[in-house]
Amino acid sequence: MAELLNIILNIVRNALRMLSLGRPAIDNSLNINIKCSTGNTLSVGLDPEWDIGEVKNIIAPKLGANPKEVKIIFAGKELEDSIVIKDCDLGEQSTLHAVKLSKSFVKPSSGQLSSVIAEAISDEDEIAVLQETIDRAGSQFYVHCPVCNDLRLGKLRVRCSKCKSGAITVDTDPKSWSDVLKSNKISGHCEQDDCPDGAFAWAEFYFKCTEHISQGENDEAVPLYLLRNNFKNIPCLACTEIKHVVFVFPCKEAHVTCLDCFRTFAVLRLRERQFVLDDAIGYTIACPAGCPDSFIDECHHFKLLTNEQYELYQRFATEECVLHAGGVLCPQPGCGEGIIVDSSCDKVACSNGCGYVFCRKCLQGYHLGECNSLDNASLSDDIHHITDPARAAQARWDEATNVAIRVTTKPCPRCRTATERSGGCMHMICTRCSFHWCWVCQIEWSRDCMGTHWFG
Amino acid sequence: MSALPRRIIKETQRLMAEPVPGISAVPDESNARYFHVIVTGPEDSPFEGGLFKLELFLPEDYPMSAPKVRFITKIYHPNIDKLGRICLDILKDKWSPALQIRTVLLSIQALLSAPNPDDPLANDVAELWKINESEAIRNAKEWTRKYAMEN
Repeated sequence: MAELLNIILNIVRNALRMLSLGRPAIDNSLNINIKCSTGNTLSVGLDPEWDIGEVKNIIAPKLGANPKEVKIIFAGKELEDSIVIKDCDLGEQSTLHAVKLSKSFVKPSSGQLSSVIAEAISDEDEIAVLQETIDRAGSQFYVHCPVCNDLRLGKLRVRCSKCKSGAITVDTDPKSWSDVLKSNKISGHCEQDDCPDGAFAWAEFYFKCTEHISQGENDEAVPLYLLRNNFKNIPCLACTEIKHVVFVFPCKEAHVTCLDCFRTFAVLRLRERQFVLDDAIGYTIACPAGCPDSFIDECHHFKLLTNEQYELYQRFATEECVLHAGGVLCPQPGCGEGIIVDSSCDKVACSNGCGYVFCRKCLQGYHLGECNSLDNASLSDDIHHITDPARAAQARWDEATNVAIRVTTKPCPRCRTATERSGGCMHMICTRCSFHWCWVCQIEWSRDCMGTHWFG
Repeated sequence: MSALPRRIIKETQRLMAEPVPGISAVPDESNARYFHVIVTGPEDSPFEGGLFKLELFLPEDYPMSAPKVRFITKIYHPNIDKLGRICLDILKDKWSPALQIRTVLLSIQALLSAPNPDDPLANDVAELWKINESEAIRNAKEWTRKYAMEN
């Protein structure tokens, strides 16, 4: 047995030597990983001018097969022998899948499958858009790449939803974004040896960044599918410019803004705390034209903002989550730790944060009896303790801040968020809890307020 | 001062080329963000025959924030106060960058045709409009003749 193996190995080595002798040295070789259905991965340098037939000659011996029995799969497609590597959209460190043909494999009847897919496709416009993207730009997709931490062009890739192997051929191309983003839309045939789904597998699509060398199969990018190439030359609804790349809001009308206006719009809404916390989606915004059911449901789109703005987005989102769950935020300047509280107790301690102990109702230092922020704060001035001078200086600064907040703001009558009025009428709408209140009366806004002192 | 955004230029051009019937809006010679507006009182309203002057200003972050609009001509209307400030949702929380100068002015024209005393700005006017509509309409006509029909 061992002898036989040696003979085979020798043949292979000779064959490889002959191949390499017969060719000039490769200057601009691509380093490609070839994953075999047996589980081995080979790293090979391929000349971009070679065709798939030549790749099969190299790989067949490794599979213990005749080159004719080998199938090369890439991005859900079987590559024909005549295809030249440079035309395959392969990047450095891309992975090809090599499979030994199994004779028992019978292709499922196509009639069945097309009927499944026909049901799955509903939005004709979506189909047109995706098809157009593929036709005109050669699969140009926009993604957020976590490695580059930026907006990049992405490549669509596919794997088996069961065994996660890339050795899958799809029965049909995805025709709409829903085919790509939702699971179990496109069927395929998984050629991984031990895959339980095999001939009846579902394709799972994912994206890779085109701009850095692949760092392996887990190096994925998030599709920003609301970003599209503006083939229809639709002007931005805000600035009316016609830009090459646009943001298409997920409303029925598919309203379009350019990326700059999207950023301006999102930042404005964020700073005014006008994002909405949706149970299913998260902290998000809707179409600027006010269309129903138009929340942006992939929050990575907010990665289009600067890092600083995105951090603000994350902070607000976390705060809204805490408040939504009935918690409070530590009022100590510079802290803001979210605390889930026991609603029967008014004494809250910021035990994971700064240690401040405060009243749940008025968010001032903890006190006994009724809340009366001004009086309680001044009480402590009479008591002298030995203090760390640095901390004392910090405390003075904090006190000045508190005074400034007290003088320039009024608390929302419902949630007590300190609110500053920078002009306009007396009708206040709380940016945190949306309560309508009167700046003068500090109670709920009424017809009476509107009639007698709307503008003061 | 930064350059005038293309959107404002386009809106201005369109307002000039295809004016809204009954509305004229002309940018100020020294400030292209400030418009001199004249709205004619709609037919079959107490404001018929009047020419109402308004000022409209496009703030720096227009169209992300709403234009600021005010009546300069005195008008007897439950949703417009003594200083000419207008109670209109699209100028406040219902503003959207998809709206335009044109749509704002059309909404103001519509407000003249259909006063809404249930959402008042001038409380005394609204009160009278509800208690004694014919007297309120008489006042509105009187004010229109007195302030909006010079010459």
